[in-house]
Amino acid sequence: MASVKISRLDKAYGKVKVLHQLDLEVDDGKFVVLLGPSGCGKSTLLRMVAGLESVTGGDILFDDKRVNDVHAKDRNIAMVFQNYALYAHMTVRKNMAFSMRLNKTDKKTMDEKVNWASSILGLDDLLDRLPKELSGGQRQRVAMGRAIVRDPDVFLFDEPLSNLDAKLRVQMRTEIKDLHQRLQTTTIYVTHDQIEAMTMADEVVVMRGGYIEQSGTPMDIYDNPNNLFVAQFIGSPTMNTLECQVAEHNGVKVAAIEDTMLPLPGDRNLQVGQKIFYGIRPEHFQITPQSVSAGSQPGVAGVVRVVEPTGPEIHVYLTLAGQDLCAITRDRLELRPGDNIQLQPDLAHVHLFDGESKNAI
Amino acid sequence: MVTGKFKSTLRYLVSMLVVCVFVFPIAWFGLTSIKPISAVFNKDRVVVFDFEPTFENYRVTVLGGLKSDTKSNSSILMGTSGEGAYDGRGSILSSLVIAICSTFLTTIIALLAAYALSRLAFRGSQGYMHWILSQRFLPPIAIIIPLVFIFRDLGLRDTHLGLIIAHTLINIPIALLILKSFFDDVPIEIDQAAMIDGASRFQCFYLVVLPMIKGGIAATAVLCFIFSWTEFLLSLFLTNSIRTVPVKITTFVTSTGSEWGYISALGTAAIIPGFIFILLVQNHLVRGLTMGAIKD
Repeated sequence: MASVKISRLDKAYGKVKVLHQLDLEVDDGKFVVLLGPSGCGKSTLLRMVAGLESVTGGDILFDDKRVNDVHAKDRNIAMVFQNYALYAHMTVRKNMAFSMRLNKTDKKTMDEKVNWASSILGLDDLLDRLPKELSGGQRQRVAMGRAIVRDPDVFLFDEPLSNLDAKLRVQMRTEIKDLHQRLQTTTIYVTHDQIEAMTMADEVVVMRGGYIEQSGTPMDIYDNPNNLFVAQFIGSPTMNTLECQVAEHNGVKVAAIEDTMLPLPGDRNLQVGQKIFYGIRPEHFQITPQSVSAGSQPGVAGVVRVVEPTGPEIHVYLTLAGQDLCAITRDRLELRPGDNIQLQPDLAHVHLFDGESKNAI
Repeated sequence: MVTGKFKSTLRYLVSMLVVCVFVFPIAWFGLTSIKPISAVFNKDRVVVFDFEPTFENYRVTVLGGLKSDTKSNSSILMGTSGEGAYDGRGSILSSLVIAICSTFLTTIIALLAAYALSRLAFRGSQGYMHWILSQRFLPPIAIIIPLVFIFRDLGLRDTHLGLIIAHTLINIPIALLILKSFFDDVPIEIDQAAMIDGASRFQCFYLVVLPMIKGGIAATAVLCFIFSWTEFLLSLFLTNSIRTVPVKITTFVTSTGSEWGYISALGTAAIIPGFIFILLVQNHLVRGLTMGAIKD
């Protein structure tokens, strides 16, 4: 096992720069997820760590040893690819034993390791099959088996679950996390799926356009996004971000969208007239049907557009002063499209972002 | 369902028709090879099946027997005189040696080159591919004269090695293009996975990618073999005493007459090695060998 340190890493293809001065530290045994939309450079970064892409500038260190110029085969890493990349002409057993065959491990150790990996991954009965005789999930497991028999210093996963169907994805997610807890190998995992990132990671690194936007524990990133992009990228349904202007109403600063006034948390430094984004997650609204509140409750008025019951909760999509937003309630409310409701934002969970810089205020 | 049935019947009929169109000349050729001369040349009617089969033509051309009669002396006039002028055994052997060796050589060279072109990006690789392709624009006849002089100076003229090299030269571009497309079908992640598993570039090529394109290699080898086996022009110009089958057969055509019996006998016999070669590799002639490697 090893720690991975990336310092001032640059990557350019010709004149096109795709990664800009990245700094990242992955402690020994940690599970770090690189998260971002496609084209953000997360896969490129992973492939540079793997040694499959050259380094334009900066350093990659494994346990403080610079590995920029070390060939992929000598880095003692294991990688699981999005499309599995199994050796189609070899059985599951041979696929898993391939790396050991290359470094001339003796047959007994080889068998022991393959059996150990296959029992962990539930591949015991499939060892003599060819990849084409396996289902998607089984193939993905073989790819993981091929990785774990190597006893690598670092595990690299490049969107390993994105080719699986939804149910299998959830199952494999748990299996990968379980595997990491058992093996405690340093892991870097790339995904564009924020749920995967949230559920699996010790640390999430959110990337965009070749920059790291924010890194931290999943809950830290969820609760304290640095900027509008991170706020909107993490969370499902996504955070509501309403475009407003700071105004003064009865001597108190409020966020105004036309005539609608939203209360602001008092501890922020805001100027009247400043353009801001008013961010609040769907679960941080208190919904009251208008009939109940009868106008007496403080809050803002919205009109229901769509109601989506999910079982444990109800997702309510509504229009507030011409802007769309989503609210979640666990109350069993009888709501219909067109209903007027009162919304009370939980001020402790309101995020404000500057209208210009889009950074958190 | 009626239209479905009609469609399948029509499809069947058309495919049978196509098969007939292709098979007829070969069948007729084969038939001619076992006809006595009186049945080949009959002024009154076309003899199809009502003749007494004879293996005389095979006896002379394939088994090296002596011509039993001297019904014409044209062979003496044309310089194909002497015993064994119609003996095709040496030609079959020469053709086999040349075809097998050039196929082997072509495949090895094209495999290495195609892998490199498919996997390693280098400045001008695209232009290089076009240049290789352009080697096929020129008909062999255009280069035959310089080639004859070069081969003569190198002492390669009229040698098996010379013809093997010539056929290899002609075959490499097409083999390279075909094999490159097969390599391109194998996702690059396979190579990368192998390299991360600790394979060198060559191990990656030899242990992982090569077995995955076996079908493509077999198909390419068949093409190269058939080309070399049937090639006429280079063989004619680059050899004197070594006669490949196609060249040998043309010596049966003389200004005073063509020995149709011998031509068809040797021609029919010449189909067999190619046929056997294809039978041997046809098990590998299946696509989809890479199935299961990646998410399709």
